[in-house]
Amino acid sequence: MGDQENSTAFTVKDLNTENPRWCVGCGNFGILMGLKRFMVDKQIQPHKTVNISGIGCSGRAPNYINTYGIHSIHGRPITLATGIALTRPDLNIFIHSGDGDAMSIGGNHLLHGINKNFNCVFLMYDNELYSLTKCQTSPTTRKGHKTNTQPQGTFLEPLNPVRFAIGAGASFVANTADWMQDHLTKTIELAYEHKGFSFVHISQRCTHFDPENFDPKNSSNFSFLTHENGLPVPKHFAEGATTINHDPTDSSGAFRYANSNKIYFGLFYRDRNKPRYDEIVQKMVEETPRKPRNLIFDAYKV
Amino acid sequence: MLKEKKHISRFELLMDAGFGAQKAGDILINAFAKMGKYVYIEPMIPSEISPPPRTKPAMSGVIIRLADFDLTNIGNNTDLIIASHEIVLDRRLDDQETNPNCRVLLDMGDRNKNEESYEQVCRRVTKLGLHVFPFEIDDESKAIIKELSGKGKNMYYLGILSDIYNMSTEILINEIKETFQSKLKEDILNKNIQLFKNGFNLAKKNILFSFEVDGAPHKEEQILIDGNSSMALGIIDAGFKFFGSYPITPASSIMHLLAKEFPAYGGVVHQAEDEIAAVGATIGAYAGGAPGITCTSGPGLSLKQEFIGFATAAEIPLVVINVQRGGPSTGMPTKTEQADLPAAIFGSHGDNIKVVLSVGNIIDCFYAPQMARYIAEKLKIPVFIMSDFQTANSYKVIEKQKTNEINNIDEIPDFVFERFCIKRLPDDIEMVRTSQTTPGDAGGMRRVTGLNTDIDGNINYFAGTNQRSHQVRNEKIHHVKRALTKPEMFGEEEGDVLVIGWGSTRGAIEEAVNNCRRKGLAVSGMYMRVVYPLPGMLKEIFQKFKYVVTAELSYGDPLKPPALMMLLRGETLIDVQSITCRATGRPIQPKSIQDKIKELINTGTI
Repeated sequence: MGDQENSTAFTVKDLNTENPRWCVGCGNFGILMGLKRFMVDKQIQPHKTVNISGIGCSGRAPNYINTYGIHSIHGRPITLATGIALTRPDLNIFIHSGDGDAMSIGGNHLLHGINKNFNCVFLMYDNELYSLTKCQTSPTTRKGHKTNTQPQGTFLEPLNPVRFAIGAGASFVANTADWMQDHLTKTIELAYEHKGFSFVHISQRCTHFDPENFDPKNSSNFSFLTHENGLPVPKHFAEGATTINHDPTDSSGAFRYANSNKIYFGLFYRDRNKPRYDEIVQKMVEETPRKPRNLIFDAYKV
Repeated sequence: MLKEKKHISRFELLMDAGFGAQKAGDILINAFAKMGKYVYIEPMIPSEISPPPRTKPAMSGVIIRLADFDLTNIGNNTDLIIASHEIVLDRRLDDQETNPNCRVLLDMGDRNKNEESYEQVCRRVTKLGLHVFPFEIDDESKAIIKELSGKGKNMYYLGILSDIYNMSTEILINEIKETFQSKLKEDILNKNIQLFKNGFNLAKKNILFSFEVDGAPHKEEQILIDGNSSMALGIIDAGFKFFGSYPITPASSIMHLLAKEFPAYGGVVHQAEDEIAAVGATIGAYAGGAPGITCTSGPGLSLKQEFIGFATAAEIPLVVINVQRGGPSTGMPTKTEQADLPAAIFGSHGDNIKVVLSVGNIIDCFYAPQMARYIAEKLKIPVFIMSDFQTANSYKVIEKQKTNEINNIDEIPDFVFERFCIKRLPDDIEMVRTSQTTPGDAGGMRRVTGLNTDIDGNINYFAGTNQRSHQVRNEKIHHVKRALTKPEMFGEEEGDVLVIGWGSTRGAIEEAVNNCRRKGLAVSGMYMRVVYPLPGMLKEIFQKFKYVVTAELSYGDPLKPPALMMLLRGETLIDVQSITCRATGRPIQPKSIQDKIKELINTGTI
């Protein structure tokens, strides 16, 4: 971050654009603020940063942060990010994707983004509901919860994004929540430092359509994974919460916690050695001896 | 010995898939090209890898047309067929592309497998007025083929064809060696060469006719290349830096070539997880400043449509190559058709603007990526390059083309614009959003979105703003329309009949028009390299002809106007008809156009 030395440091104010068109109390405010705070803390250059999103309430996020941004189509932000990562390794990429975007319409891309392990921070906004389209069942809606598409109560058990990411071989998997600002900011910091596809699951409140879902005042349901190389337990929630020391290199432990009925926040897994598709491709291109273009027909001579 | 001197000849080699008909064809055309002849080869391949042998779907063959002059298309009127058994022959006779005195060499080796079927097919050949020449592979060669686990017949047939076309065995043996040296062990290679020699000798002894097509060694430096390879090299020359694609027939060979070659020119090839991801990554690359191009065929085009609309709305340049095949749905992956035109022009929901280019031959394939990149970057919109199976997979001897080594679009020379009949676009083209910075530009931070925005890029759903966005986007296309000059024409600018086409029909139209004109008919042709938008002067040109007709490779009937006809009618309000609009999977034959023109002139109806 040497190139900002001569200019004055930017503040959160510099990152603001218009007032977000989200409902009062929406968890997205916390996530956006967490990202802005991280960028200010580390002075991540806005002009070197691209925020990319799909569709849904989360999809609007790039419009509300003064960096470069692409608000794309439903489920596909990972695809755009891949193209940028392959051609512009100098840029910081943050992907914003909701539970419908990431786990439903864009599920295939999430699987392959994780596998390609290209360098980006993937923020999954999980409010367990389709909200912008007005309260339909999403892949992570809890069973029995009544929605406009399954008014009898959501039929199936929800998909578990953290378990999915670990199972798919993600090199970085963390879980945090919109209402834990410090934990969220610290998680984004670790995700950014990690080179590869950093999967950050964020529990997010939808106060408009599902105000009963997450009670942030009651931390007894929540447990934290903590480690000297992982994430600390937020002070605000430390009392009454279960705290487990978990080494983020321990993959079977990570899977065990992801697979339990309890919600754990913290760093589940990190593998700094997983090969990166973007790095492999760029290195290959870099190391291929150059050929002059005026000779491209030579191999086709009669 | 009956030696027939010809300026042009066409022959076919028909075998079961997996037995090397394509390989034999490649060797032959390379040899022909070296001997100074002009060749055009069309592979006929099943979309399966190895369908059960001795069935009609298994037919894999090549059509080779050679001449002592430059060829524009695969033509019609096959003079000679060599078939490895009666079923592939029977299958091919269905297509009715033979000369009235076509000779048919039929390998009788499978006769004992079904004598009745052999007799039946031979009767069919005779009934069509063609001549059957039954032959049998000699015993020594049969033994070699057995040692090669049934492979190697293709070399034997290659030998027969070499004798009939009076070719130098020396050149051919060299070609065989060059083709197989790195792939086959020496003893296997020698067995293949022996089979070639034995075939040659069999023909010398038993086949008492031959064709002689002249050809002096080419003066200019010549290359032998197929449409997809030409397109891939064109992508490199046009300065693209990113190619995102997903495997699909018949587009994949563009990706295969680039996967090998692109890195040497600093380009990234990204095999995406699906068609949507391929176009998404390409838009991402362009959004980041790296010129990106994606490549697909029919079904992939359907999948890409939402993202194509996004590129229009977000004002991100994008180039999409669509190598058309038979549709709808999976259709016919290895057959040619031009029915994707409406999907390209009007596809993606909403009022979605784009420019559609067409390639009519292998040279167009090389320059189209430059033209497309120019328009895409100037207007920040998606641009299509429409190829099809026929152009993509045919090989041809062409003059070595001039490379332009483009880094930015201002370097594209005039002759490329002239080829596509378009002038340069003005510099001050209005965008929906005035700020058009690229990530990394300090102080230029901005967001792009598929939502409607105002001039500053802010999301805006107000009436006036949305109307303005449409107006600005459509004005981009109007700039292209105004820059279009008169399309390429064959013949005079007035007369009785004007035949119009786009895509791979160009060669057949040109040949048909020339043949008609030689017979004194007032027939002209027109070829559209930009199919959308259309130039403004078409009506004026059309009014100088009694009949204006299209020749298209997409289905039409009296109640169903095919795409180009519909488009031209809408543009000019002139009663454009279609002279041929069949979707058989086979290319349009010059002869079928000629016949229809004569009928039209004589009867006044099609």
